[in-house]
Amino acid sequence: MDEKEIIVCRCEEVTLSELELTAATYNCSARELKLRTRAGMGFCGGRTCRTMIEAFGIDKREKNRNQVTLKYQAPVRPVPFGKLGGKTP
Amino acid sequence: MTRIENHPILGKLGRKKTVTFTFDNQIIRGVENEPIAAALLANSIRTLRNHEETAKPRGIYCNIGHCFECRVTVNGIQGKRACLTPIKEGMIVQSGKRFATPVRDWSGNHV
Amino acid sequence: MYKAVSGSPLLLEIGVETMYDIIVIGAGPAGLAAASTAAREGLHVLVIDEYMKPGGRLLGQLYQESNGNWWNGLEESVKLNEQAVNEGVKIILQTVVYDIERQDSSWIIYTENIVYTSKQLLLATGAAESPVPLPGWTLPGVMSVGAAQVMTNVHRVKPGDKGMIIGVNVLSAAIAMELQLAGIDVVAMALPPLNQLTHQHSRPKEVMEALLHASHLAPSKFLRIGSKFMTNPFMRQLGIRLYPKSGISMWGIPIQLRKAVTEIYGTNQVEGVIIRTIDINGSPVSGTEESIACDFVCIAGGLYPLAELAGVADCPFYYVDELGGYVPIHNEKMETPIEGLYVAGNITGIEGAKIAISQGVVAGYSMAIASGKQGLVENLQDSIKKVHETRKQAAIRFHPKVDIGRNIIHKQWEARQVPSTNDATII
Repeated sequence: MDEKEIIVCRCEEVTLSELELTAATYNCSARELKLRTRAGMGFCGGRTCRTMIEAFGIDKREKNRNQVTLKYQAPVRPVPFGKLGGKTP
Repeated sequence: MTRIENHPILGKLGRKKTVTFTFDNQIIRGVENEPIAAALLANSIRTLRNHEETAKPRGIYCNIGHCFECRVTVNGIQGKRACLTPIKEGMIVQSGKRFATPVRDWSGNHV
Repeated sequence: MYKAVSGSPLLLEIGVETMYDIIVIGAGPAGLAAASTAAREGLHVLVIDEYMKPGGRLLGQLYQESNGNWWNGLEESVKLNEQAVNEGVKIILQTVVYDIERQDSSWIIYTENIVYTSKQLLLATGAAESPVPLPGWTLPGVMSVGAAQVMTNVHRVKPGDKGMIIGVNVLSAAIAMELQLAGIDVVAMALPPLNQLTHQHSRPKEVMEALLHASHLAPSKFLRIGSKFMTNPFMRQLGIRLYPKSGISMWGIPIQLRKAVTEIYGTNQVEGVIIRTIDINGSPVSGTEESIACDFVCIAGGLYPLAELAGVADCPFYYVDELGGYVPIHNEKMETPIEGLYVAGNITGIEGAKIAISQGVVAGYSMAIASGKQGLVENLQDSIKKVHETRKQAAIRFHPKVDIGRNIIHKQWEARQVPSTNDATII
């Protein structure tokens, strides 16, 4: 990867040019962009880059103000399997 | 990095109990219950892990638990955030390393 | 799948109380104020936070108010916490809530070790920082501006000896001053490079306009005088053209609105930045590159409401620029369209801590009324008025048109109310 590249998703190291190329090639939504590139799918759950990924999709805000572009889902923080549902191991 | 001993508004940094812990086997002294990241920074250590695929160095980014960039292994438990895990005497902290079995970089042709 | 165990007897650890009237997620100013208010009315309240100290983002705040007094976030956090504890609120820290679920008119709150339940749930999860990306921003030593604030004012460790701030806005200007106050050398504040993701932070004209609304921070004569006569677009254009190339000094820190940091460099950590002169539209002027040595860099792209748990609960959202992003739809009583779900603080839009506190009080009364407590309607109405008054007197405005944003979200709430149904809950 070129050192001058701009990383957008820090967890998965997805770059700005990669996102631009994918968005241009597929003319896709932010969600599809996320699924194609893994941007926003890393350890942090997209908390750091989600506002940036949202800015790319064809579904930009104007028509979609009443729906979150990238869905939130549980668990909202990584949880060890041993801790799911309670009880310390 | 230095600690801010005197602050014009917040006042003097009072004497606090210090503890020692290890970071990648290096012995570190810090103030009890301050976050791992603060204790390491006070000892001029910024790099907390290397990226799993590219091995690029990473340190704290958000410092309040949102970004998980500072994740380290604490007493054998992975994925602990150095920015909000208080240090205790004898704690064993290890940085994250590049995975032994990296994946190909497919980013050039996946589109 | 993991939800299947919610009724498991394993959950009932001895001595651990798991049922509450009200659970508050987030021990920041909004959450603590709400918890105190509800507990004072005799309700059993639990506050959960993942951080190690109560206070949330308030912990790091430190600025001088127009009356000369210092707003000390650490002290304010201690006060709010003590008040809550004195009212009988149970506060548990270092605890991650990873899921919430509505079941049989109760909320089930999943944390790593224990599953809690409550009748009412308040989400007071605050805000996260939006980044402005540029080459080199993953190097150790590059951090969000809020990170530098916490390291400096809360942990009392310098984020570095010499720092550069990328992104000029109300938050970064306030934090630059705090770093300076702690004896940390801030070399300059400059804009991020112009790209698809940074445009509103990278065009001098837009940044200038936003700053003019913060002129009561009185960073310099230029901005103060400027805000008085630069009221029409022509004058603004002129102002940015005349903006000195060396920047304008604020508390001794040069603010460069005509320069952008185009790259952060360093081998294993930050060693410096490359800065270039930009035209009034944010495009770099060729041949103007210079390198500035520094050992830390702050990224300041502003805040957005952190509402992931509202999303998990299927709460409807609306995107409002003036509030900082997607906001859970709510009314002035801090109710959401989801039964038993309330919001307060920055999750409802980016504003200062005093407004968060006043919103928390509103949410506290609303939840107390919903829990069957009588005679609180007047308190609720007064507390709503207090929110408006606090907003009018706010020292720091994150968005100049926040009132418009508030109206937009309340209209969204009203639009969802079908007039024929029982809408006794609307004031």
